[in-house]
Amino acid sequence: MQPFSYARPATLAEAFVLLDEHGDDACMLAGGTDVVVALRNRTLRPKVVIDLKRVAELQPAITEAGPWLTITATTTLAEIDEDQRIRAHHPALIDAAATVGSAQIRNRATLTGNICHASPAADTAPALLAYGAIVHLASARGTRRVDLEEFFVGPRKTVLQRGELVTAIGLPVAAERRGATFARITRRRGVDLATISLCCIVESAGRTVLAYGAVGPRPFVVADESGLLADPSAGEEAKDEVLRHLLTNASPISDVRGSREYREAMLLVMSRRALRQSIERLEAA
Amino acid sequence: MSSTPIRVTVNGVERELEVAPNATLLDFVRDRLQLTGTKECCDLGECGACTVLVDGRAVNSCLMLAVEADTRDVTTIEGLVENGRPNALQDAFLDKGAVQCGFCIPGQVMAAQYLLRRNPHPTLAEVREGLSGNLCRCGGYVQICEAVLAASEAAT
Amino acid sequence: MSTDPNVVIGTSQRRAGGLARVLGRQQFVGDIALERMLHVKLVHLDCGHARILSIDTNAAAAVRGVVSILTSADLPHPMPRFGPVHDDRPILAVEETKYHGQPVAAVAAETKEGAEAAADLVRVEYEALRGVYTVASALDPESPLVQAPELRSDDPLRHTNVLRELKYGWGEVEAAKADLVVENSYAFPMVTHFAIEPHAFIAAPNDDGGVVIWTATQNPFQMQRIIARVLGLPLARVRVISPDPGGAFGGKQHPKYEPLVAFLALKTGRPVRLLLTLEETFQEVRRTSCEIHVRTGFQADGTISFQDIQSDFLLGAYADVAERVVAKSNYLACGPYRVPNARIAVRALLSHTTPSTAFRGFGTPQVSWAHESQLDDAARRLGMDRVEIRLRNLARKGEAFVPGDTPCDGDWAESVRKAAAAIGWGSPVAAGRGRGLAVAIKASATTGASYSIVRLHWDGSATVLAGTSDMGQGARTVLAQVAAHELGIPIDSINVVMGDTATVPFDLQTSASRSTVFMGQAVARACQDINGQLELIAADLGLDAKVGVVELLRARFSEVRGEVIGVGSYRSEYQPGHPLGGRPSFYEFTCTASEVEVDQGTGEILLVRHVTVADVGKALNPQHVEMQDEGAAVMGLGHTLMEHMLLDDSGRIRNLGALDYRIPTTKDLPLEMHSLVVENADGPGPYGSKGAGEGGLMATAPAVASAVTEATGVVIRDLPLTPERVWRALQEGAARLA
Repeated sequence: MQPFSYARPATLAEAFVLLDEHGDDACMLAGGTDVVVALRNRTLRPKVVIDLKRVAELQPAITEAGPWLTITATTTLAEIDEDQRIRAHHPALIDAAATVGSAQIRNRATLTGNICHASPAADTAPALLAYGAIVHLASARGTRRVDLEEFFVGPRKTVLQRGELVTAIGLPVAAERRGATFARITRRRGVDLATISLCCIVESAGRTVLAYGAVGPRPFVVADESGLLADPSAGEEAKDEVLRHLLTNASPISDVRGSREYREAMLLVMSRRALRQSIERLEAA
Repeated sequence: MSSTPIRVTVNGVERELEVAPNATLLDFVRDRLQLTGTKECCDLGECGACTVLVDGRAVNSCLMLAVEADTRDVTTIEGLVENGRPNALQDAFLDKGAVQCGFCIPGQVMAAQYLLRRNPHPTLAEVREGLSGNLCRCGGYVQICEAVLAASEAAT
Repeated sequence: MSTDPNVVIGTSQRRAGGLARVLGRQQFVGDIALERMLHVKLVHLDCGHARILSIDTNAAAAVRGVVSILTSADLPHPMPRFGPVHDDRPILAVEETKYHGQPVAAVAAETKEGAEAAADLVRVEYEALRGVYTVASALDPESPLVQAPELRSDDPLRHTNVLRELKYGWGEVEAAKADLVVENSYAFPMVTHFAIEPHAFIAAPNDDGGVVIWTATQNPFQMQRIIARVLGLPLARVRVISPDPGGAFGGKQHPKYEPLVAFLALKTGRPVRLLLTLEETFQEVRRTSCEIHVRTGFQADGTISFQDIQSDFLLGAYADVAERVVAKSNYLACGPYRVPNARIAVRALLSHTTPSTAFRGFGTPQVSWAHESQLDDAARRLGMDRVEIRLRNLARKGEAFVPGDTPCDGDWAESVRKAAAAIGWGSPVAAGRGRGLAVAIKASATTGASYSIVRLHWDGSATVLAGTSDMGQGARTVLAQVAAHELGIPIDSINVVMGDTATVPFDLQTSASRSTVFMGQAVARACQDINGQLELIAADLGLDAKVGVVELLRARFSEVRGEVIGVGSYRSEYQPGHPLGGRPSFYEFTCTASEVEVDQGTGEILLVRHVTVADVGKALNPQHVEMQDEGAAVMGLGHTLMEHMLLDDSGRIRNLGALDYRIPTTKDLPLEMHSLVVENADGPGPYGSKGAGEGGLMATAPAVASAVTEATGVVIRDLPLTPERVWRALQEGAARLA
């Protein structure tokens, strides 16, 4: 790694001062599982690394307030895995988070870091999108909320402005029952990046939400409002037609993990399976 | 680039040192403290050879900056020794023939130590899951998993 | 003098050196720090074959703490070249880089960070050149030559990229009658060793003008010879210390950057240490890839009538030991079978890629991929059981299946039956599942020499000096077991010293699963030498030899201390007439059987059960044999299911490093694994042992592929069997049926 300065703000106000001052010369550090790799590979060459882990307002916490579960920026994937409320309300997110790296990675990696890194293949993104997650942003000039769907702009690009950081991710706690499935394809059963990933949620009211990763410049979410996908008695061919239509939003590429053709085929195969499983889980709920 | 002072407890001993911000915890442990039991291999957090415990949690030390260890409690493989003897888990590794070339072993032991502290009686599937971040090219996974299971049984 | 043979031999003694490893105290090369040591970083290009136009080291030299920067200009002219067989490899790239990762400069600095920073600042201007990266381009007469003809002065093929053409055979293939001819082409990809310990090298100057090298080599004596020649020093002034490797698998057998660090040490007058990153290590070593085209003739009853094999093996930019890999494996390209007519033609081709070197199996995984797939194809077409067709053709003990050479030395059918039984062959297989079984055979060491000195101390303890490298297979333990058994002393009182050319006598190398046989016998003979001396001592003192070792030594050395020194050796001499330079001392025969379940929607393979059977003669340490065979099986699953180095059009490796080069993890293990042995005490090693340790991966690919075929109906002839590859085969199969 080439040399850099290290700053460890104790409050959000201090963090904003540093971010405003340094702009693109700074990079933020939470879990480090993406940032430190980038520093080592020199794809990131900041003058200043701003460690957010001691910022008082960002300490790890998962809080329930009304219809929201709010996960602060420094909360790790391990802490999420250990949280019973998320397990109860957002089980697909637990499943997705469990696929991110190994136990060692999850003890450090943060949910916020995963979305800020904005890899098109971020494993937590499809589940977060399907659950309707929102992102809380803050800067010296105030706060704002953004739907996760809009948060991602493109590969490794988010809507974060200069001087702005993510303070928390909010997950709506649904009143109605639903069945949720996270699924992905990898090159090996062991720890791996996803060739494709997806999350399927079937709601008791009949709506089906599908979110996908690694098949386009950003993770995306689509929905079937017609109720056909959620209908256990609807035929496979009819469902395929709806799925195919929804999947026109995907634009997979060929890379070392898989070819475009394989990804396209797997989108359909895995969507069908996830849908079936979500319907079963809804019935069991 | 200036040095940053840190205060870190390593294997029960508190140390106050100045570190460069761009040094990893792995560099720090191996080069500054000469604790060479923790190994360097992939440097990307994929192989687990650099696994240490930080505040009781298993982490890849190659992905932590040394400065991030300020005020933290770090345990390396050298810190597991009990009265100069290997602990029960380490003994199980020897018993089950889990040690071949030995290079991945410190990382495997640290990851297994973490697993057993949180889950004292894991199933084989849980052991495999818990050690999935530790690569062994000698291919000794079967014996390594057997050793962890044996250590967990002995602990009852 | 000897105690009950079963007390030590055949027991699973705890691995010597295991304690240090489990405590984190084992010193690997990268753990050794010497006083005033300089840190070295290599400078290499993001390019395959390229012409170096200029190297500007000014900015780099200005970095604080930089002590020396070496380029080819700073090395002797003509550039010294080395290699285990051909002296073709330069210390640093000169004029051109011949493979992605070949270093053009080396920086030595007071600190790791300084060396890194300086290496980053070395400015190299280069021009990408057309390169040879595939078999086809190696054979294309329009392609550039990888090695200048002057390097291969006496070689009639020097104006081509064919390093060597080899032909083996017997009988009359053209005249052979066959009811069925099976003709197919197979490919085996580039894969890399990925030992968890990246390569590391230390050199330090001696006061006597010589040099000491620390390197985790499997072959310290060859290293000593090469360093001495390249530096112009006598052997006695070059000391090679080889700490136990953190995994080697053949990738740490031959010299790479030892000459470079030796030069730097002499130039700077200080110890220097070079630690390669994992990515750099991948760029240094790989298995020889190949394309094999086979025609096999069968009678209607499944008997093999002929094998007609043409293969092209793609070596890297330097020959290393790869020619031998090609020769040895292709010599047995027909497999462990009775083949009345054979014609094997193989070419070893040079390319602008990572030098291929020895890799566990030494070419056998590649050739068995072909011959076993052929047998399965024939079985399917003839409607024969795939185990049955093998039993029909397997050579029997004592049969010279390669005419005039070492005959079959094991009951190979027993291994096959054992594997078949363990996999449940013949019982109904569940839907979506399939079973496969395959065999492979490897010729062990053909020539070689191992020497051992055993020192029996006056207190009854002993030191065994043996040049074998303990790289995970537990050689130290096994040799201690042999000495304990021969001398009749407790195993805990034996110290085995290895890895230092200054103190241990000559050993050819640790490879070819030879050490139990060669070094084991050398140690046994050294002990027998000691026992002979003890008998004379007993007679001299008028004592009954049965008085016991400790008593005898006490009586002998009570006034004037001393020790009893025994020397033993085991040699297999070079035979000039033999294509391999000598007959194999034994064969390593293996059988693998696998049951898989294939997800036909995604192409994912689940290994339900995986069995390996090793014919070991006598398992001196059963736990070690199991460890090695299971480990080899897991490694075999790597190249079978997930490993391949991907090159782009300019010869750059696209998947360097652990992120995109995947090897098996705990979650990739078969649900059940069984490692079995056959012990008929029919080997040339101590107590009837043979070698072991390579078998488990030699037949993995064809066994799994055969299982996949049974499960899905599709045949795949390329590796690895990634989910996508299986899926594509299924799509193509379905398309053909449609």
